[in-house]
Amino acid sequence: MSVDSLKPNRSRTRRGAVVKDVISRWTFMVPAIVLLVAVLAYPLLYTLQISFSDFDLATFAPSSWAGTGNYEDALGDENFLNSLVVTGIYLVLALPLQIVLGFGIAFLLNAEWRGRGVVRALFLIPMVVAPVVSGGIWKIMLDPLWGVITWFLGLFGVQPIDWFGDAGMAMISIVIIDTWRSVPFVVLIAAAAMLALPKDVFEAASVDGANWWQTLKSISLPMLAPIIAATFIVRWLGAVKMFDVVVATTNGGPGQATNVVNLYIYRQAFQLLEFSTSSAMAIIVLVITMVLTFVFLWGSKKLEDRL
Amino acid sequence: MSHRNTQRSHRKAVIAIASISAFAVTLTACSGGGGSDAPADGGGLGTADKHVKITMMSNDAFAETWQEQLVPEFNKAYPYIDVTIDSTPYDSLLAKGLLNGTSPSPDYDLITLDDPWTPQLAEAGVLLDLKSDAAQWTEDDYDWDDFNSAPLASSEWDDGQYGVPLRSNLLVMLYNKDLYAKAGLPEPTPELTWDQYMEQAPELVQDTDGDGAVDSWAVGLTWVRGVLSPPFWQTVLNSNGGALFDEDMKPTFDTDEGVAALQTQVDLLEYAPPGASTYNYNEPLDAFRQGKIATLFTWGSAYKSAAVDEAVTTLTPDQVGIQTMPAGSEGASAHRGIWSGSVFKNSDNPEAAWALLQWMSSKEGELWSSANLGSFPARKSTLASEPAEPWLAPVYTAIQSGFDVAADGEMWRPRSPDSNAIQEILANETSAAVQGDRTAEEALDRAASEIKELLEK
Repeated sequence: MSVDSLKPNRSRTRRGAVVKDVISRWTFMVPAIVLLVAVLAYPLLYTLQISFSDFDLATFAPSSWAGTGNYEDALGDENFLNSLVVTGIYLVLALPLQIVLGFGIAFLLNAEWRGRGVVRALFLIPMVVAPVVSGGIWKIMLDPLWGVITWFLGLFGVQPIDWFGDAGMAMISIVIIDTWRSVPFVVLIAAAAMLALPKDVFEAASVDGANWWQTLKSISLPMLAPIIAATFIVRWLGAVKMFDVVVATTNGGPGQATNVVNLYIYRQAFQLLEFSTSSAMAIIVLVITMVLTFVFLWGSKKLEDRL
Repeated sequence: MSHRNTQRSHRKAVIAIASISAFAVTLTACSGGGGSDAPADGGGLGTADKHVKITMMSNDAFAETWQEQLVPEFNKAYPYIDVTIDSTPYDSLLAKGLLNGTSPSPDYDLITLDDPWTPQLAEAGVLLDLKSDAAQWTEDDYDWDDFNSAPLASSEWDDGQYGVPLRSNLLVMLYNKDLYAKAGLPEPTPELTWDQYMEQAPELVQDTDGDGAVDSWAVGLTWVRGVLSPPFWQTVLNSNGGALFDEDMKPTFDTDEGVAALQTQVDLLEYAPPGASTYNYNEPLDAFRQGKIATLFTWGSAYKSAAVDEAVTTLTPDQVGIQTMPAGSEGASAHRGIWSGSVFKNSDNPEAAWALLQWMSSKEGELWSSANLGSFPARKSTLASEPAEPWLAPVYTAIQSGFDVAADGEMWRPRSPDSNAIQEILANETSAAVQGDRTAEEALDRAASEIKELLEK
């Protein structure tokens, strides 16, 4: 047998192996793709379809094409726009507070002191409490008539505070409760990141005579910046879904002061059965969330590239 | 290093996109292909060999009690009907009901409907008209005329009867006799007017233990934004002859009477405990049970836990009075709140489902429920009979007079397929007035205009 006659066979064999390899790879990927399409893509596309349709309650399915009508209704809905503003206020207050507190506490927990292991373990408890439960517990604790916090402040002559009755205080209360729940998560990530920082850099700084503040400002924070940015994004994605705590405490009140966008959309959809408009609202929120997330991811990448 | 960072960023981007996509899942619903009608033979009532299975979608507040206590009692009369009662949160009931009613393979045969929901489901064509579609399976001695008109009207729509009352309720006035005595005020009577009540309210804010600090207040009711809040304002409005809508469903509440009624709800906050602006249903009830408020405007079904159940209240039936709410220019006031039971048109076993509802709403069923579950009857004959427990006697009197008053003044939530949406607008705007964001007049003007816009769509 000549070498020439062997060439096509080898090539065919190699091509067969490649095809086989591709098929086997896709075979492994198919279950994940099917799952993703079923669980993520289908609901998303169905929501999109409803948002451009009239929804027929008699068949419980989208019927005729409505064009951009539902989007116009959503954007013309003063209460929806207000709920976006309320959500924005909540995020602006809660996220920086949670990131600063989380990294600050992690910094303290990483220092050597007796009992820090116990404190670190206790710190994780709020994270595993269901949001509705934590909302309920805090509502009881902050009650102006029966609450333990009211009683405690009363010992110092402080009059009962209407935590959930005043628009400003209600938002602050929601932020406090969410911070109580979410800071442990930030602490967990921050503590792990701090432990992973290279020790030799700190030793070199120490040899060069850098004080605590200089070390923090010039070494710790720049090295932690990508982690802070990533944590911010993860918290942002969690916080933008705020719902349970509000339902358990203020139910969106007083007035519309804590009527966050998810609660508003939920009510429109499942209580008022305005599925088309609420789908349009959900898509609008989705787009806003995606745009902001990509902005944050871009910022995060810039921070990483700078290092 | 840079390549690894890029990979990391890409991974994060994928995670982020996946998270955002999951966000949209909250609004997902499954499509249905339209419901099928009930079988002509009704599916029968079962035999010893072949039981009939029916499932009810019920509000979580009482589903478990019904399953554990009421179903075994029903099975004494109908041993071959297996009943499952599924607990469903209040907020999901209506949407799930529509979904089930339009499904070609429904999971549920029955549903419990809150007072304002019948028009929406009846309009969607998913409920059985019990007086016509189910007439063939109705017991000969089932007495429709014995029902008080107000509770039965809750499940009527467009000349059809789509349900029967299973748990009747009314907004009433509970009062603490001791706190009235301490304030030196006479106990309220059904003739007490809103004006007189408002005059007495400041005196009911008291320091009962003499330590110099106020420890008891005049009033508790639902002030927080939500569907339970507008009925109070509406009741005051109705008692003065006002109505939410005219016959053509045009808003008629943005009037001087409407503003005065809403102002009453706003003004009462001054005589309520600290934090009362966030009161929903449980908070004022708790305050009343602890002897902290003299009067409570709430649903009558709260009476047992406010005055009888020693495990949760400090008060006894001797200390707690119950009556219709104060009177306006047109007489006393109340507000209807009925849980009705309905059969889905696409049920495979409508005969058995209707048998359950007939038993629950029969005089026998009402007496049993009243004595064992503390729920209120809707039948005139049941309310006129001697109750099983002595504490129920004044409650029956208050409920019967409340039904009469509610029927006369049409004191119930809007009868419209858009009832929920209307109620939501009223909740938003009346709450804005309660919080001082708007005057009562501004709030009602806005509400009227938003509702007009909604109904014109």
